[in-house]
Amino acid sequence: MSTVAVTPAANPVAEFASRHAGWLIGLGALALWELAGDYNLVAGGALPSPSEIIRQIWLDRQYLPRHIGATVWPALLGFLIGNTIAILAAITFVLWPPVERLTRGISITIFAIPAVALGPILVLTVDGIKPMVVLAAVSVYFPTMIAMLVGLKDIDPRPVDLIRAYGGTRRHILLHVRLRSSLPSLLAGLKVAAPAAVLGAILAEFGSGQRWGLGTYLLGSIGMGNPARIWEIGLIATAIASIGYVAFALIAGRATARTKQVTIASATPQDLAGTGGFTPINIAYAVGAAVVPFIAWWGIMKWLDLSPIIAKDPIGLWNYFFNARNSAVTQASLWDALLQSVPIALLGLAIGLAVAFGLAVLISTRPRIGNVFLPVALVTQTMPLVAWAPIIVLLFGRDLTTTLIIAASVTFFPALVTILQGLSLVPRSALDVLRTYGASGAQQMRMVSIPSSIPYVMAAARVAVPRALLGVMIAEWLATGMGLGNLLNRARGSLDYGMIWTVAFTSVAISILFYQLVTVVERAFLKKYRAGSA
Amino acid sequence: MTKIIDTTMKRRDFLRASVAAAAMGGVASLGLGSRPAFAQAGTLNFQAAWINDAEFMGYFIAIENGYYADEGLTVNYLSGGPDVIPESTLISGRADIALTSPDTTIRAIAEQGAPFKIIGQQYQKNPIGVVSLASSNISSPADLVGKTLAVPPVNTTSVEAMFRLAGVPIDQVRIVPYQFDPTPLIQEEIDASIDFVTAVPYIVEQAGKEPVWFLLYDFGFKIGNDTIVVTEETLANRRPELVSWLRASRLGWEENAVDLERYPAMYADSWFAGTGRSTEVDTFQNVAQEPLQAHPDGYFSMTEETIAETIASLAEVGITATRDMFDTTLLEEI
Repeated sequence: MSTVAVTPAANPVAEFASRHAGWLIGLGALALWELAGDYNLVAGGALPSPSEIIRQIWLDRQYLPRHIGATVWPALLGFLIGNTIAILAAITFVLWPPVERLTRGISITIFAIPAVALGPILVLTVDGIKPMVVLAAVSVYFPTMIAMLVGLKDIDPRPVDLIRAYGGTRRHILLHVRLRSSLPSLLAGLKVAAPAAVLGAILAEFGSGQRWGLGTYLLGSIGMGNPARIWEIGLIATAIASIGYVAFALIAGRATARTKQVTIASATPQDLAGTGGFTPINIAYAVGAAVVPFIAWWGIMKWLDLSPIIAKDPIGLWNYFFNARNSAVTQASLWDALLQSVPIALLGLAIGLAVAFGLAVLISTRPRIGNVFLPVALVTQTMPLVAWAPIIVLLFGRDLTTTLIIAASVTFFPALVTILQGLSLVPRSALDVLRTYGASGAQQMRMVSIPSSIPYVMAAARVAVPRALLGVMIAEWLATGMGLGNLLNRARGSLDYGMIWTVAFTSVAISILFYQLVTVVERAFLKKYRAGSA
Repeated sequence: MTKIIDTTMKRRDFLRASVAAAAMGGVASLGLGSRPAFAQAGTLNFQAAWINDAEFMGYFIAIENGYYADEGLTVNYLSGGPDVIPESTLISGRADIALTSPDTTIRAIAEQGAPFKIIGQQYQKNPIGVVSLASSNISSPADLVGKTLAVPPVNTTSVEAMFRLAGVPIDQVRIVPYQFDPTPLIQEEIDASIDFVTAVPYIVEQAGKEPVWFLLYDFGFKIGNDTIVVTEETLANRRPELVSWLRASRLGWEENAVDLERYPAMYADSWFAGTGRSTEVDTFQNVAQEPLQAHPDGYFSMTEETIAETIASLAEVGITATRDMFDTTLLEEI
């Protein structure tokens, strides 16, 4: 035996490899991709190699800057407007909780309205780049508002007690405690919002008839049978979204380090979940929350004053669905579509959340995995689905697998970011106690990290429900030709705005239903867990 | 009847306000197409059916060569796209003239009482057809039995009609959605797709495969496409301008036909700049579509026979068209 036994530390190669694992794996993946593209190994050549894509970018350099500018500018405006509204809304909700409870329906509605249904209406009501700005703003509102709200509510109660003892008001608490402690959570929300704004702007371009923009460029290119161009556009969109994400991640890294609580803060369940139970006042709020969106809907339709063929107010939709000549057909096709779409959406949601949770736990124990995996996850998130769809279809066919993959992939990334945020905010002192007693990483995870991240998992689940449904609809629209997505698409082709409103209304209603369900589960969980640990 | 006018007036105020607001925010300074949509005398807002490609060549020429200006018209050209529904643009008052699919327009009139009139049609034969690879041996609807056919969801009813007219049981064809991306066809993931036969065959050829195609029109579904549609209101109030528009647009198409390869290249850096389409594709399309739109009586013609065929074909898909949805008198005035 002439083999020389070396310890890993003494082996410079192994040391190098372990220190730069992320880079090495990344480079390896890139090399594999290049080979797969050059030799047409994936999907019969539909996957272009990185060098082909770079060549295509060079060929298209004349028009790219203008297309990029035309997408980035409205996305940026929408990002600023949507987030400003979201932050102000969250602050309002904390100062005057009844406002939050009454407008909860509107908040979820804004998030759950399918872009494919909103786009055609938006284009008819505002002109120029405004549809893109509005859709980008709409896309960022909910993730930011929820993140800000969680941040404002999940606070250390001791400084609050101190302020109260000295006669401080709710505004003092907001100023001195809540706003500061909300920063990490807000930044996590903004991280998710940045890619969403880009996506929103691109989606709106499909309906805007604009000459410039990455979405428009994609439309013109998609019929050219040139996968390198499709990937070029997708990767540029991804890069723009990633810049936004990484910028906020860097800021968050600094801010979190500064504001991280060094000792235990045990937020009370009431603060986080509100007061539960079927008291008359709660029921009144629930009814209010359900009625307010209808009033807003009716008011907006009144204000827009569009033809009743396009615009349906609540009463118009009711008549379309129940009293029109075709109502029986309308109802039958809606039920059929729901039965095809909803179960898949729920399954996709479950898979997406489970994967996100598993990965978040893995990443927080082994940060190096995060270094490798987060960029990949970000890419899957920000790449426009229209660009992905042909590849996914070529790889996985046009059946339920494809729908599940798309539904899970659009759900899991925001969930991952939110859960990671929760895990990173675990009170150090609690972990120190466990460490002192010699607890392993897994034990720390099980006993402290996971339980204290539960509010974040719940926040993630709430955000994920409408996304899962949207993911399924996009997959149906692009690949399978089934369910709600197909119904919507056919309705647009036959000027059947009644059906567009029906699908939009139904998907919002389903999202709200599950939102409430998650809230009930959360409340029950927090009650049990906090009571047990107090 | 005054509904449309009311809407236009309010729309005008709203747009003015929003343009002003946008200007304050520096949005308008980008000049990214905040198009005026006011119904001024001599100004027609024209909604096209798709993104800028050779399908709209004649209108680009009429704008560039001043044919509209010679008629005293200013034409605001509004590009289309997959989520732009031209009929909606008409109803909302943002456009005065739109290019539409006849089936969608007529269904909207028949079933929802939409106040539309069809005053001409660009394509005498709908360019929608079944495109496949020669190796699949698909030359008629019957050959699609047991095959996978990709259909844009908006064309589903037309395709169903084609199968019914050809006596082919539709449940023996696997229909999947089509997103105007020929890659699945080239990769043979699907056997055939429904698309404009004026462009896709060229793309397939470029990918080194041999394309074959047939029109739905040739198998009994005899409708045109890019029907020229206005509201009854516009027709009643702005008839002379509409006739002028038809005349100038026809001139544009006639100029185009003189040399079909001239204008696509000429507009490569203006109308077609940055669309993602190549000049070669637009040239191919410009040549391929010419036989589908030329007519002995001139472009846009609608004869009694054409209208009767359209009505009969649409009856096959359960859409009740009537003669009074078409108005041929403007064409007669050109």
